[in-house]
Amino acid sequence: MHRSIVHMDLDSFFVSVSCLDYPKLKGKPVLIGGTSDRGVVASCSYEARAYGVHSAMPMKLARRLCPDAIIVRGDYERYSQLSETVTDIIKENVPIYEKSSIDEFYIDLSGMDRFFGCYKWATELRHRITKETGLPISFGMSENKTVSKVATGEAKPNGQQKIDFGNEKTFLAPLPIRKIPMVGEKTANLLRTMGVEKIETVQKMPVELMENVLGENGIAIWRKANGIDNSPVEPYNERKSLSTEETFDQDTIDVNHLKSLIVAMTEKLAFQLRSEDKLTACVTIKIRYSNFDTHTTQSRIPYTSNDQTLIDRAKELFDKLFQRRMLIRLIGVRFSHLVGGGQQINLFEDSEEMVKLYQAMDRMRKRYGETSIQRAVGTEYERRRFNPFNGRSS
Amino acid sequence: MKFIVSSTTLMKHLQQISGVLNSSNPLPILNNFLFVVEKGTLTVSASDLESTMTTSIQLTEGKQGGKIAVPAKILLDTLKTFPEQPLTFLVDEKTLGIEIVSDFGKYKLTGFDAEEFPRVPVMEGSKTLKLSASILLNAINKTLFATGNDELRPVMSGVFFQLSKDNITFVATDAHKLVRYRRTDAKASGEGALIVPKKPLNLLKNIVGDSDEIVNINYNENNILFQFANHSLICRLIEGRYPNYEAVIPVDNPNKLTISRSALLSSVRRVSIFSNKTTHQVRLKVAGSELHISAEDLDFANEANERLTCQYEGEDMEIGFNARFLADMLSNLEFENVTIEMSAPNRAGILVPANSENADEDILMLVMPVMLNN
Repeated sequence: MHRSIVHMDLDSFFVSVSCLDYPKLKGKPVLIGGTSDRGVVASCSYEARAYGVHSAMPMKLARRLCPDAIIVRGDYERYSQLSETVTDIIKENVPIYEKSSIDEFYIDLSGMDRFFGCYKWATELRHRITKETGLPISFGMSENKTVSKVATGEAKPNGQQKIDFGNEKTFLAPLPIRKIPMVGEKTANLLRTMGVEKIETVQKMPVELMENVLGENGIAIWRKANGIDNSPVEPYNERKSLSTEETFDQDTIDVNHLKSLIVAMTEKLAFQLRSEDKLTACVTIKIRYSNFDTHTTQSRIPYTSNDQTLIDRAKELFDKLFQRRMLIRLIGVRFSHLVGGGQQINLFEDSEEMVKLYQAMDRMRKRYGETSIQRAVGTEYERRRFNPFNGRSS
Repeated sequence: MKFIVSSTTLMKHLQQISGVLNSSNPLPILNNFLFVVEKGTLTVSASDLESTMTTSIQLTEGKQGGKIAVPAKILLDTLKTFPEQPLTFLVDEKTLGIEIVSDFGKYKLTGFDAEEFPRVPVMEGSKTLKLSASILLNAINKTLFATGNDELRPVMSGVFFQLSKDNITFVATDAHKLVRYRRTDAKASGEGALIVPKKPLNLLKNIVGDSDEIVNINYNENNILFQFANHSLICRLIEGRYPNYEAVIPVDNPNKLTISRSALLSSVRRVSIFSNKTTHQVRLKVAGSELHISAEDLDFANEANERLTCQYEGEDMEIGFNARFLADMLSNLEFENVTIEMSAPNRAGILVPANSENADEDILMLVMPVMLNN
């Protein structure tokens, strides 16, 4: 028996939410993202896409392409709130679903065909979501996740599409290679230099050739191009890492400033870690120089959620990583290898006073907000992130 | 050099010291046993540079002296296959050729020059100490599990021997748990402090039986030598200052919980199966005379809850521990009932026997909690 996998994707989710809250925006080119010149477009309306704007494009360029666009600063709290509402509707109605991002869901309807007719049923679910939340959503349905995702992309905006079992290859064949999930700009460019434009060409290539060019990824791309994907819909998507990064308004080389930012970012992430009852065993620091060269370095540590341990390690990593005396455009901190649990108190290193101090600080943060207490060295960071329009820090 | 020895006797002795051998060695010579025949006695040594273990066998026949290093693996593999029978070793010290003659046939292998084998350090200005085998064995068994593995803090990777005229205290800690084992029936001639590495203590455990026989100990600033029956073990001490453990043992612990050790141990073991596989975190909640043990693993939606009756004096409290640590301690405490003394959820829990039968023995185990997010 073959499977029935549905991929649902909220159409230009951030824009749709903004339109819902401010109906005046409807039908206009809207860009969501950082308002400064250096921000990137997080999402844009279909009207803006007509001008050639796409997400992840620098805001400056987007503005040049579409000078009339209305730029809206994202309200991520509102987005996740609505995303939860959609998730709840899906959760109530389907046997197995996987939330793969804030606005994307995979649903496994295998075996439901004989009772409901999967396609009809998914259509009803789509209408219900739109009716209850006011957000447009599209879906694609097929035998596996990859083909469904591609089908959703083709069905957008506010549409739906079904690829019958056996037709996967013919459906994918005429599409440009860029449509395969996991083929990014770089891979697409590489394939294009080889004369590969359409998925059809990849389908006809021997898998060994793809492997020679792209290694392990080549095999994965080749399989996807042929509509082969056995990966299951995984009901619970455990968060595997916590991260934050910051692009500067102006490139900087001020080490003290950078370090104070790292302290603030680490402190913030460490609090998040503790709030979720998690420990990390791996700290990563990322820097992007002004010429877009991006470097990361990471280090394994014993499981911890302790501010001081993490801050010290993050600073050490930064010193190790920042070797070129070149302007920096972006820095980021990431914790991975997360497990559930509380900090093991150390007999010699953690004095009772320190333990109590940290616990008291966390209680304050929980009661009066994350920024109610923090290390003085990192306060500048929060000020910069303060959004005067909604009175919150983003 | 020539000697005749029983295959099983030799095997038994070699097995007792072969634990010293590392699976990979920086120096090839360390993959060998050093055989020395002198005055009718065969002594065999194994070394990893840090520890050297020696065992001796009285020879009855073939007493031609000499010494050679014999490849350990090939010798052990061969000996394993022999039933009890005399083996004749013929060694040509010039060519380093070794010939072993058994009832079944002849085997030839090449040894190494005995001079290459690391010299056993000479104990200069050493002090002596006598301990009964059972005390030493007990001390090792009770403390070894609590030693650390952190390469950055080598002192914690050994057991601390604190010697005084009144008693001897053995301490081990990895900064999360701590064991203090004190014997008032063992005394030293003066004050002393030694940190003995884990590996030789583990080896010692295997050769020292639970008896009243005396183990002779010699130590100076750098080395310690244990002599017992026909074995000896010399090892380098860990340098550095042992952390001030007395200072971190809380004195004022108003909350006291007394419970059957075996009941608690099996409950902790059972519940911890449902805890996170990495952190092994369990939650202990005491109220009235009831102890509630629970664990959960959110990633797999696993959960376990158990209730035990206990005697409890103090305020109701909730405290989190690594179940591994608790289980290790409880299984090494060998008493019927244990008392857990606590003060606050972010301070150490102390495990002591509820009623000790041996007045000469004082044992205390300490475990640091994990911070619970309430």
